[in-house]
Amino acid sequence: MRLLAQALTVVRKDLLLEWRGRSRIISVLLFGVVTLLLFSFAVGPDSIALRASAAGFLVLALLLSSTLGLSESFRLEQEQRAVEGLLLLPVDPIALYYGKAMSNTLFLMLLAPILTPVALVLYAVEIDPMRLLVLLGLWAIAAAGLSAPGTLYAAMTSRLQSQDVLLPLLLFPLVVPVLLGAVKAVALILTGDPMEQIRSWTILLVSFAVIYWSICGLLFPHAIEEGL
Amino acid sequence: MRKFTWDQAFGWLGLALLAVGTYMGLFVAPPERYMGEVQRIMYVHVPCAWVGMVCYTFAFVMAIVSLWTHRPRHDAMVTGAIEVGIVLNALLLIQGSIWARATWGVWWDWDVRLTTSLVMLLLFAGVLALRSFVDDHSRRATWTAVTTIVAFIDVPLVYFCVRWWRSLHQVQSSPETVDPLMVLPLRLNAFAILFIAIWMMARRTRLEMARFRQEHVDEPARLEPAGGVQNV
Amino acid sequence: MTVETTPVVRATGLGKRFGRHWALAHFDLEVHGGEVVLLFGSNGSGKTTFLRLAAGLYKPSRGTMSVDGHDSVKERLECRRLLTMVAHDNYLYARLTALETLRVWARLLGSPARDSDLVPLLEEVGLAERRRLPVGGFSAGMKKRLTLLRTRLEKPKIVLLDEPFSALDVAGQDLVEGWVERFREEGRTVIMASHNLPRATKLCDRAIALEQGQNVWSGSGSELVEREAKAS
Repeated sequence: MRLLAQALTVVRKDLLLEWRGRSRIISVLLFGVVTLLLFSFAVGPDSIALRASAAGFLVLALLLSSTLGLSESFRLEQEQRAVEGLLLLPVDPIALYYGKAMSNTLFLMLLAPILTPVALVLYAVEIDPMRLLVLLGLWAIAAAGLSAPGTLYAAMTSRLQSQDVLLPLLLFPLVVPVLLGAVKAVALILTGDPMEQIRSWTILLVSFAVIYWSICGLLFPHAIEEGL
Repeated sequence: MRKFTWDQAFGWLGLALLAVGTYMGLFVAPPERYMGEVQRIMYVHVPCAWVGMVCYTFAFVMAIVSLWTHRPRHDAMVTGAIEVGIVLNALLLIQGSIWARATWGVWWDWDVRLTTSLVMLLLFAGVLALRSFVDDHSRRATWTAVTTIVAFIDVPLVYFCVRWWRSLHQVQSSPETVDPLMVLPLRLNAFAILFIAIWMMARRTRLEMARFRQEHVDEPARLEPAGGVQNV
Repeated sequence: MTVETTPVVRATGLGKRFGRHWALAHFDLEVHGGEVVLLFGSNGSGKTTFLRLAAGLYKPSRGTMSVDGHDSVKERLECRRLLTMVAHDNYLYARLTALETLRVWARLLGSPARDSDLVPLLEEVGLAERRRLPVGGFSAGMKKRLTLLRTRLEKPKIVLLDEPFSALDVAGQDLVEGWVERFREEGRTVIMASHNLPRATKLCDRAIALEQGQNVWSGSGSELVEREAKAS
């Protein structure tokens, strides 16, 4: 119970901090939009080719923006060694992990409602609103999957000078299952799903999230206590 | 004369077996019916894949142990196993690429095992990259163990999702349909590469321990009490 | 003042190394309940390292550290429940206001965090007027005052203070002095590191001098003043 209360307080604190630093959220979102734009320049003005790759580009833009958001999430904690202050109170490291992972998930979830419409417009894809909701729900699962290892790795790399290189280097190969699952599922949502395949991809995303939410929670206390 | 260590036996035995196995693979075993001579790359390709996985699995097990014991030796073993695993993994990719060129006419194919190997290489290379940025020994050991565990668990997930994504690799042939003269060199080479890997891992572990001792051997000097009461 | 017989903080053969450098070595210390102990020594003599070891923020390289019978590494959480620490870093989030900061801390400690409890604390350190301003705009002294309130929120058995007087004006220093007196009356244990000899020696029951990470001298506050006068 105390663990949950502490985790929720960490979430509340992070949300408040995010709200105070709104300009950061906006920059991350703008970064996502710029990425979407660059992809269309890379493919050319061929609207059929663009539509065919829309799902991949959208998920990639979300992934790239997510990495930016994750790396920032522990920079605040390191500034005045605030994370040390939390651990000394004492906040249980497990509560700290789940709190940070939850707030990161919320932050990443927020990217989709903004970036998806932009992608749909840029790549000339038309879908009905119901499917859009399914897409957002799917991204929520993917965001949970990304945040679990992302929070653990951000906690470690934020102590190092080369965080900007190291976090993507560690995270991108690791989240290949999330990337593949999300791209396939989003493509099915955008183009229609006659074979009912979307379920198996969703199961993949859910399993990834469940596995890493449990394992990283166990490993985080070791990682964070060594990083002080 | 340098001191003889147990792992050198593995080294020499492995090299000898590799020579015999490769000779048999190249000159004794019959060519494969459909792929012909190119298929002989299998005699190094498959052992590299097997032993590479053995190395990573060993690294994973030792990572859990190292997280538990915090002993420098166990951390050295994790690192040694990952490094040897990466070398075998890189060889595997090069051989796979050659095989793909010869059979499918392309240097790279998004086949499930080849793709998984590539992702695996990047996963463990990341572990070593993180490691190289950390100076403090205890922190380095813990973070290496943590990232190794996280990376290893990802391997089956990557495998399954790439398999769903697409697949056109040959189905693993069951030993019954294969000429015994093809099985023997394969087995010999598998053991050869396993022995060489053990040899390299042991050497790497010893090197890492030597480095650790060089940095950590000195005990702190004791100052003479500078007057007054020493302690209470 | 009652002095209990079992030590509240006990360091035995404590050593901490950073790479090749021993920041703390052969360090033995027993602090009893209700004692106010001053750690004195030049920069880099190991005071902060000792306090961080006591808070379980570092792992000892040699020896053991226990807090009220709990091992500072194996039972980190229990130890930290018993102690609070104010160090050089002020643990603040620049974008939170003073009141919000206290609310977050109080909630994490499991208290209801009512403003009616928190505002008087801010009044005490002279920050009530600015409670709605983000702490990023505070001066170093104001930040320190805010962070020092952690000792009041937590009501711990043991208070670790690293340079409690630095960055504070005279009024602020008086305030801290008053608090330490009060902690003593309440039977709490205080271990502080300070260079402010006049204030710190007046407060302490016992002074410890550190040199190159070792415990070289122990005596009363006034003896420390004499020792330093002789040295200069």
